[in-house]
Amino acid sequence: MTLAILAIFSVALTLLGFVLPPQGVKRATLLGLALALASLLLTWGKPFAFGPYTVDGVSQVFTLLALLGALWTVGLVRSRRFEFYLLVLYAALGMHLLASTRHLLLMLVALEALSLPLYALATWRRGQGLEAALKYFLLGALAAAFFLYGAALFYGATGSLVLGAPGEGPLYTLALGLLLVGLGFKAALAPFHFWTPDVYQGSPTPVVLFMATSVKAAAFAALLRVAAPPEALALLVALSVVVGNLAALAQKEAKRLLAYSSIAHAGYMALALYTGNAQALGFYLLTYVLATGLAFAVLSQISPDRVPLEALRGLYRKDPLLGLAFLVAMLSLLGLPPLAGFWGKYLAFAEAARAGAWGVLVLALVTSAVSAYYYLGLGLAVFARAEETPFRPGAPWARAAALAAGVLLLALGLLPGLVLPALAAGG
Amino acid sequence: MVVLAVLLPVVFGALLLLGLPRALGVLGAGLSFLLNLYLFLTHPGGVAHAFQAPLLPGAGVYWAFGLDGLSALFFLTIALTVFLGALVARVEGRFLGLALLMEGLLLGLFAALDLLVFYVFFEAALIPALLMLYLYGGEGRTRALYTFVLFTLVGSLPMLAAVLGAKLLSGSPTFLLEDLLAHPLQGEAAFWVFLGFALAFAIKTPLFPLHAWLPPFHQENHPSGLADALGTLYKVGVFAFFRFAIPLAPEGFAQVQGMLLFLAALSALYGAWVAFAAKDFKTLLAYAGLSHMGVAALGVFSGTPEGALGGLYLLAASGVYTGGLFLLAGRLYERTGTLEIGRYRGLAQSAPSLAALALFLFLAMVGLPGLSGFPGEFLTLLGAYKASPWLAALAFLSVIASAAYALTAFQKTFWEEGGSGVRDLAGAEWGFALLSVLALLLMGVFPGYFARGLHPLAEAFAKLLGGGA
Repeated sequence: MTLAILAIFSVALTLLGFVLPPQGVKRATLLGLALALASLLLTWGKPFAFGPYTVDGVSQVFTLLALLGALWTVGLVRSRRFEFYLLVLYAALGMHLLASTRHLLLMLVALEALSLPLYALATWRRGQGLEAALKYFLLGALAAAFFLYGAALFYGATGSLVLGAPGEGPLYTLALGLLLVGLGFKAALAPFHFWTPDVYQGSPTPVVLFMATSVKAAAFAALLRVAAPPEALALLVALSVVVGNLAALAQKEAKRLLAYSSIAHAGYMALALYTGNAQALGFYLLTYVLATGLAFAVLSQISPDRVPLEALRGLYRKDPLLGLAFLVAMLSLLGLPPLAGFWGKYLAFAEAARAGAWGVLVLALVTSAVSAYYYLGLGLAVFARAEETPFRPGAPWARAAALAAGVLLLALGLLPGLVLPALAAGG
Repeated sequence: MVVLAVLLPVVFGALLLLGLPRALGVLGAGLSFLLNLYLFLTHPGGVAHAFQAPLLPGAGVYWAFGLDGLSALFFLTIALTVFLGALVARVEGRFLGLALLMEGLLLGLFAALDLLVFYVFFEAALIPALLMLYLYGGEGRTRALYTFVLFTLVGSLPMLAAVLGAKLLSGSPTFLLEDLLAHPLQGEAAFWVFLGFALAFAIKTPLFPLHAWLPPFHQENHPSGLADALGTLYKVGVFAFFRFAIPLAPEGFAQVQGMLLFLAALSALYGAWVAFAAKDFKTLLAYAGLSHMGVAALGVFSGTPEGALGGLYLLAASGVYTGGLFLLAGRLYERTGTLEIGRYRGLAQSAPSLAALALFLFLAMVGLPGLSGFPGEFLTLLGAYKASPWLAALAFLSVIASAAYALTAFQKTFWEEGGSGVRDLAGAEWGFALLSVLALLLMGVFPGYFARGLHPLAEAFAKLLGGGA
């Protein structure tokens, strides 16, 4: 049903876009995404399969997160061209598909369906970010090739294209490793992260919000289905948390900084892959989507373009709601209780502990202490005194969403039990 | 009741942060003090007012609180210190709101009977502390803030691994303290888990050489001393060693006990030494606090019932007198505009009551018999002597030194000739003076009453470590 809604809206709006005003397309897109979300909630916990398209708990939880990011993005944007909304819708379709299948070929199609719109979105403002988008495209194509090669080897090793087929031997391990590379690229895990800082910095901020939240959710849904070898996982996690956190220390621009932070977070999320616990990963992603989405939403209200760290100074005085919300987002990303990010970290880290990966766990914890330096730098900058610069108060929709996300981060921090059972029923 | 006691300051703090007037905060602090006084006076022994609600039952996490003799005493001293601060510190409403918020989080920390919930409060209390420092601190606050945060987090995030290990490696079904105590860790796991806890708690004790965050933290905080008083109460390392780290992994503790005893004695001596050379009040009090915490830690690390009892009593008492001294420094700053010790002279001539109050607070810090610092210090050294006579002697030197630095500072400030006149105690400051002197005297004269709930805990602690009566 979710698939049908997304597909119908995408196709219909492709045609109607030529006659409707862009604002109308925006509303229709929001409606389509909301309907898809509603259909998801109505069928929550009820698996459904149609050929290789299988809606199970993982698919529902991660599609929900991806749709949240898409809704937020569309809500923030006022584009004069209707194609922007359509691209987001098509990408959301691809994300849902990627989260809802174990069949490698369908996964590849879904991966492309979500990537191609993103390449276009990354260059949305012409002339800017072209180099970054080219990098994104070339590396993305390479990653897809890795994925395809992995799928071929998987078929060679198991005689099946459906993930979860039993297999063993070096060919099987290599196949899983290649699939991991292909998806690790989308999830921005080091060492496949090189595109991330450039693309985040060069793309329009709402698009970055979409990339940082929805794409990650979809990629991790697929990663959950790939039974990654623990050694490879340990390497990815270790590199991601070290590279992400250390590189973020030196950044002077907020979007680039958050790009590195998203790499580090991909590393923390990958800790939950040790046991493949969808509940822990789902909760982590939920807190991450809320906090990162909130951060980028606030940045998009400051400037559609780059945001040097100085530009954040004094935000609290200009708009107390956005300032406080930004602080909450930073503290949640840092993982300080009583904010939701803490429970996300706790759950993901507990999975690594359960798998006995203590070395990686301690490394992740130490690096997250390092991250305090830049998260607090960002979060406290909003309180700093700054010379008065003209500031247009944030759009009502953006402020309402920021308030909701901030309150949710606090509420989930105090009562994580509110949603965890639902995530478990799904997962 | 415990939950109410924890929530009361949090609610008032939140109201103040929303912009309600400061007077409401004083009312909140007062109500909190009265409630906690009532809880302490009516405490029946054992774990009273136990509360338990599932937080993440699947993962074995519960909102579990309870008031035993130890937490009841700390509830009283924390609420008292915050109330004193609310009375006299002239700060804006939001600042007081943050202080009340922090009070609530500290109370939750002391009442938590679930390891993960304890961790949540332990970390959460950091947020108001650093907001107070950042929003109201001095020139060099950014640097002080980063030092403080990085020290704290480098300690406490690895502690999360120890928290997970304490449950997973011991086979305990939940994070509840009673379950964890029933499944003590063994072998190598005990060592590593204890080390994880020890790092975090040594930073928050603080123990030499992990104390480097403390002096800048105090120097850069708001001169009113309110944030410093809260910071003093936040030094919960000794308590956390006693309640969690050592009982959960006694084997691990036994392997490093000698090292910890040595570090504690060294902290006591080093802190006293530097305090003697301090040029301003906040530095003096920061290092004096380090010295006192070293003594208190020595008591708990000695593993003897006297030592543990004394160490905890000293921790509770020092919250009041060190916090009170920080607030007093704030009063001096308001009158003279400086915190430098050499800049004041002869204040006793114009402000005799202020001088008398200062004398009480300083003498409590020195450990004069009859005031609140003495019983804890005495018992601590007695217990430490049983464990290690040499280290006890070393720590005893710090007690002598405390007389030197405290009395020198007092003498320079209040006696000697010259100096300009300042205002004597006035208004709410009288409340501060009477209440704190009363607390110092009562805690000094009736230590048995205040420590009545501590005895069984200290005995059980020593028994766990194989000593005790």
